[in-house]
Amino acid sequence: MLRLVAKRLLGTASGDIPSRPLQILPRLYHENVIDHYNNPRNVGSFDKNDPNVGTGLVGAPACGDVMKLQIKIDEESGKIVDACFKTFGCGSAIASSSVATEWVKGKSMDEVLTIKNTEIAKHLSLPPVKLHCSMLAEDAIKAAVKDAEAKRAKTNATLKGADVKSG
Amino acid sequence: MYKTKQLWTPLSSVFRGVLPTTCSLASFTANSQFPSLSSHRQSSSRVPPRYGLNFSPYSKFPLLRFCSQSAAKLDSTTKRCWNCVAPGSMPFLYCDSCRSIQPVDLSIDYFQIFGLEKKYEIEVDGLERKYKDWQKKLHPDLVHSKSEKEREYAAEQSARVIDAYRTLRKPLSRAIYILRLEGVDVDEEQTVSDPELLTEIMEIREAVEEAPDSQALNQIQSRMNEKLEETSDSFANAFQKRNFDEAVTCIQKMTYYQRASLCCSCNVIMGSATLRIEEMITTDV
Repeated sequence: MLRLVAKRLLGTASGDIPSRPLQILPRLYHENVIDHYNNPRNVGSFDKNDPNVGTGLVGAPACGDVMKLQIKIDEESGKIVDACFKTFGCGSAIASSSVATEWVKGKSMDEVLTIKNTEIAKHLSLPPVKLHCSMLAEDAIKAAVKDAEAKRAKTNATLKGADVKSG
Repeated sequence: MYKTKQLWTPLSSVFRGVLPTTCSLASFTANSQFPSLSSHRQSSSRVPPRYGLNFSPYSKFPLLRFCSQSAAKLDSTTKRCWNCVAPGSMPFLYCDSCRSIQPVDLSIDYFQIFGLEKKYEIEVDGLERKYKDWQKKLHPDLVHSKSEKEREYAAEQSARVIDAYRTLRKPLSRAIYILRLEGVDVDEEQTVSDPELLTEIMEIREAVEEAPDSQALNQIQSRMNEKLEETSDSFANAFQKRNFDEAVTCIQKMTYYQRASLCCSCNVIMGSATLRIEEMITTDV
């Protein structure tokens, strides 16, 4: 239902009065947010038990939002080859996590740790009251990387142990 | 089951969309519809009683609001009504002697307004009656003939009583409030990463989204209400032992369960609205 309303509002804003910028109506979601809401990228789940998958599960207690962000690591290069998310929360939270999954693809784990919530917020023109949604997305990325690294360390330890035994 | 309430429909929070800074669905004290000063000052947990000179329109000289004898010890019994200064009138929010409304005193907490002991467990049934009794004395609609100052007092007092009622009525907002009175603020910005809780919540929210019919949703909702009660009891326990960390965790859990319960109500309504629309579409051929 929200999608229909959003489409109509967007239509009115851009169709009838072409010269007026979108920001005139202060409560309107930025078109990037609406875009991510209508065309969500990378919604889904990876197998949590896959050793190459890092899962970040974070929540914002104030609004009861919960965000799951998963990354798939390429074994050899250690780079993130795929990402997906599942978020229960407001449009801004959904859009923030959607943007996060787009931005982490193709990067190394060290690189994605430098993604700041302020960049996500700027990209979505989030109002001050929604800044914590972008913070949540940043925390989700960090949690996913932490999980992935822990798994890799565990796998390496097991492999080393196996080498010692067989060698 | 979802019940429609008069002014405080939980769904109103959902349809209002973006909430003010707390970004929460529980009715926090900051979430007042009235442009009153009192709600904005809620951030301080303890405010010392105000005293000083007060100018009354009915007298030509300033009145000292507190009895000079006990200037060192300030409590509500030494306050005088600004209007009648009747000895021992104990005005509280409203002076029974001259029937004038008093200015808001932030040192009076919500429990005191409702004549309750400052405990988490309260008798919710008596609240509504007491609330209506107060509004009969304080409501701005009743003070048209009075001075502008008193009409202002009425607006502020009335708004504060509404805040108090909303806050104390629901377990979650009451819990947050009573913690705040102890100087413990639940940090709303902090991210939660307890994997067990979040996995549980994730599964519940997924179940809500995928529920096939309103019966399934109602089942989930009653489970959520059970969980809310359980966690509310845990909070009471933790609070009594003054284990504030545990108390905050309980509040976080309650927020999640309440949110999930709200989503069930939402989906039930969306579901039946969709059915109605489909009905209308198919029958209006």
